[in-house]
Amino acid sequence: MKRTRIPTRTALLLGGLLIALLVPLALKSSQYNLVLATTVLLFAAIATAWNIIGGMGGQLDLAAGAYLGLGAFTTGTLLIRWNITPWVGMLVGGLVATGFAVLVGWPLFRFGVKEVWYALSSSALVEVLRVIFLMWDQVGGPVERYLPYYAFSLYHLRFNSYIPFYYLMLVLLLITLGINHRIRHSRLGYSLLALGENEDAAEVLGVNAQACKLQALMLYAFLVGAMGGVYACMYGFIHPNFFSGTMSTEVAILGIVGGMGITYGPLLAAFLLVSIRELLRANLGGGLEGLYLVIYASVLIVIALYRPRGLATLLQDLFRQVQTRLAQRKEAGHGAVTDA
Amino acid sequence: MEPSPMLEVQQVTQRFGNLLAVNQVSLQITAGEIVGLIGPNGAGKTTLFNVITGLYKPAAGQVLFKGVDITGWLPHKICRLGMSRTFQVTRAFNAMTVEDAIRVGAYNRHKEESVTAKVDEIVAFCDLAEIRHRKCGDLGLALLRRVEVARALATEPELLLLDEAGAGLNPTELAGFMEMIRRINTEQHVTLCVVEHVMQMVMGLCQRLVVLDSGEVIATGTPAEISANPRVIEAYLGKRGRHD
Amino acid sequence: MGQTIIQNLINGSMMGAIYALIALGLSIVYGVMNVVNFAHGDFVMLSMYFTFWAGTLLVWDAVATPLLTVPLLFIIGVLTYYFLIERTLRQLYVTQIAVTVGLQTLLRALTQVVWKAQPRALQYSIIQGSVEIGGYNIMFSRLISAGVSLIIIVAIYLFLSKTWMGRAIRAASDDLDAASLVGVDYRRTYAFSLGLGSALTAIAGGLLMTFQQVDPTMGVRFALLSWCVLALAGLGSIPGLLISGLIVGSAESLSVSLWDPRARSLVIYMIFILVLWLRPRGLFGRK
Repeated sequence: MKRTRIPTRTALLLGGLLIALLVPLALKSSQYNLVLATTVLLFAAIATAWNIIGGMGGQLDLAAGAYLGLGAFTTGTLLIRWNITPWVGMLVGGLVATGFAVLVGWPLFRFGVKEVWYALSSSALVEVLRVIFLMWDQVGGPVERYLPYYAFSLYHLRFNSYIPFYYLMLVLLLITLGINHRIRHSRLGYSLLALGENEDAAEVLGVNAQACKLQALMLYAFLVGAMGGVYACMYGFIHPNFFSGTMSTEVAILGIVGGMGITYGPLLAAFLLVSIRELLRANLGGGLEGLYLVIYASVLIVIALYRPRGLATLLQDLFRQVQTRLAQRKEAGHGAVTDA
Repeated sequence: MEPSPMLEVQQVTQRFGNLLAVNQVSLQITAGEIVGLIGPNGAGKTTLFNVITGLYKPAAGQVLFKGVDITGWLPHKICRLGMSRTFQVTRAFNAMTVEDAIRVGAYNRHKEESVTAKVDEIVAFCDLAEIRHRKCGDLGLALLRRVEVARALATEPELLLLDEAGAGLNPTELAGFMEMIRRINTEQHVTLCVVEHVMQMVMGLCQRLVVLDSGEVIATGTPAEISANPRVIEAYLGKRGRHD
Repeated sequence: MGQTIIQNLINGSMMGAIYALIALGLSIVYGVMNVVNFAHGDFVMLSMYFTFWAGTLLVWDAVATPLLTVPLLFIIGVLTYYFLIERTLRQLYVTQIAVTVGLQTLLRALTQVVWKAQPRALQYSIIQGSVEIGGYNIMFSRLISAGVSLIIIVAIYLFLSKTWMGRAIRAASDDLDAASLVGVDYRRTYAFSLGLGSALTAIAGGLLMTFQQVDPTMGVRFALLSWCVLALAGLGSIPGLLISGLIVGSAESLSVSLWDPRARSLVIYMIFILVLWLRPRGLFGRK
């Protein structure tokens, strides 16, 4: 079974990659669609990073916006004040986000503190950071701080088209997918999955719960922090509203709906849900844009109730069914095989 | 000179609110033994296990494993030292396959290079080759229990604690299970402490028994001695009216 | 300065009683089912909006609206259990939490669509005015709200210790298996707990509407407040909840007037995270 599976999977991956690379050329004319595609990639990347702590680690993290915002503000401030390139700023932003994550996450992963408090705390963290940066006039404040404008500057990471950002996001997404995949098949991955399934059982098998969760959190925070830097450059400004609780919840929804622990799960969910979101945003106005959240929430609830392992498992089952049908056909030799 | 015991429980006491679950319990286990921990329901056996394996911190007393004071240690550190356990209510890694579940345990002593070999070894030893790719959540009780033991065995423990692992198994399954436990003891040189209600397992496997009632040790001895002990009989008979 | 502080302590304590009531609802649900209703703060917000409707469409006074909102929220709580939570009880913990996070998102989005972003308030209430005691100003609306909250909290305390259903709830929260043996139907107990916890938010919401306004961001605020009070208090002690409520309410009031109105969530969160750092069991917690 495994021998026939690998080539097909690689073929699909390469095909997908090819399509992804060609997308901007096809959409060159439509600025709107280009932004849509980039946004899908952005959310997919963040949600894939989320998967490390959420899907594999089993912690419902609702603070993606916190790390994104911290990365954005670090990168933006470094650029605005000291003209430091966002390529460096991204890494520093990632580190700042990681530091913060440890500060907040460490007490929560201690033995005896229940997981729900992590979810609650992360949910509040974003809002608190938003307020802090709103009041912190030196760095934040209520008005947008604009990054220096350049029509095309690799150093400043500013472009007047979305195409470079599309490719940058694609690279970040691929890196995150790669990291996700590596972890999944490493000791950390197995430990995290076990912890998510049953923490007590994992611990008596030698899994250090606190250390593993902290590692997952740090990795996730770093990745999202780095993405925050790109985010700031994409939008051209930084503002405390980047610390968005809504966006954090959306990221978690993508991770859960897609399939927790499954590497390409969030990508799948982002494809479906973010498209819906942008479509609604474009076509509805006057306060009804919030309706996309209603759809997100409903999908989350339905998935949690009826397919908790996520949409990706639907795809996996479908894939397996197709595989078995193909194998059956091969055995039958020729002609159509009727269903059993 | 007598070899020092592998596990020494000294005057361990554990409370839940006003309830005294374990009251100054002391016991010893020497290397190579299969010891049974028995007693009526609610006697405190699982609580004692939980204290020994680090899930609870006792109100009083010490637990010494291989001469090291492990009282209050976190479970994963205890596992590193060489002790593992199974649970009364199976705690399966539902979404993981059997071999993945075993792999989690194998990482305790193996790095990436040798972990796959270890998994294969355990799968073969515990007779799980046929189901190694199946998800734990899809397995029936007998196989689940086997996998739980396999998982724990993969950590290469010196002492393995089994909590009512025989419950709910039919005679055939039970026989096979007991056979595997015996082999774990003789071939893998693992010392065992078993909490059991299933008399077949108790009598057939254990060399020595420790009887708990209402949180206290009321007797120790060989299975033959214990089954003739009037205090033990009283403890079981007295409780029979209450549960069932 | 001293006078300001004491004034704030008085105001804060009165608010704190209401916060304790909200946290009590959360505590009942969490204690029994070990599931946190993420939408709890939004239930408060929802009941405030319902109160607003009852006040403007039916022209009821705020004090009468609980007649409507309490049964309504009770039903919503029960329905939430049967339709959302029950199915997930055997799933991963993340999934259990996820359902109520979904509910929370749903409620927030819907309130935004239905009532829009502008704050809503009731025009008047029979509870008006204030009184001066020893140089400190005490608004009747807050005083009565605090008083009613106190009474309800005591009533719940008695309910949980004296009635059969109340003891069933306590038993279920201590040990579900044992409780089942004694004949407690866990499904009904769970449903009732969620209904009761939610009904309490209706009372709090009605009280709050006598002197506050509501907007779609209220859900976030009450969520953080109730979790903070619950974390500070720990599970298992109702007097502890009350004291924690007073502490949190006072802290909030002090930070708003002495530091910055925008900083209130910051201070609450600091308390929250400090408790989790230093004493995860809470000040009065049993578990």
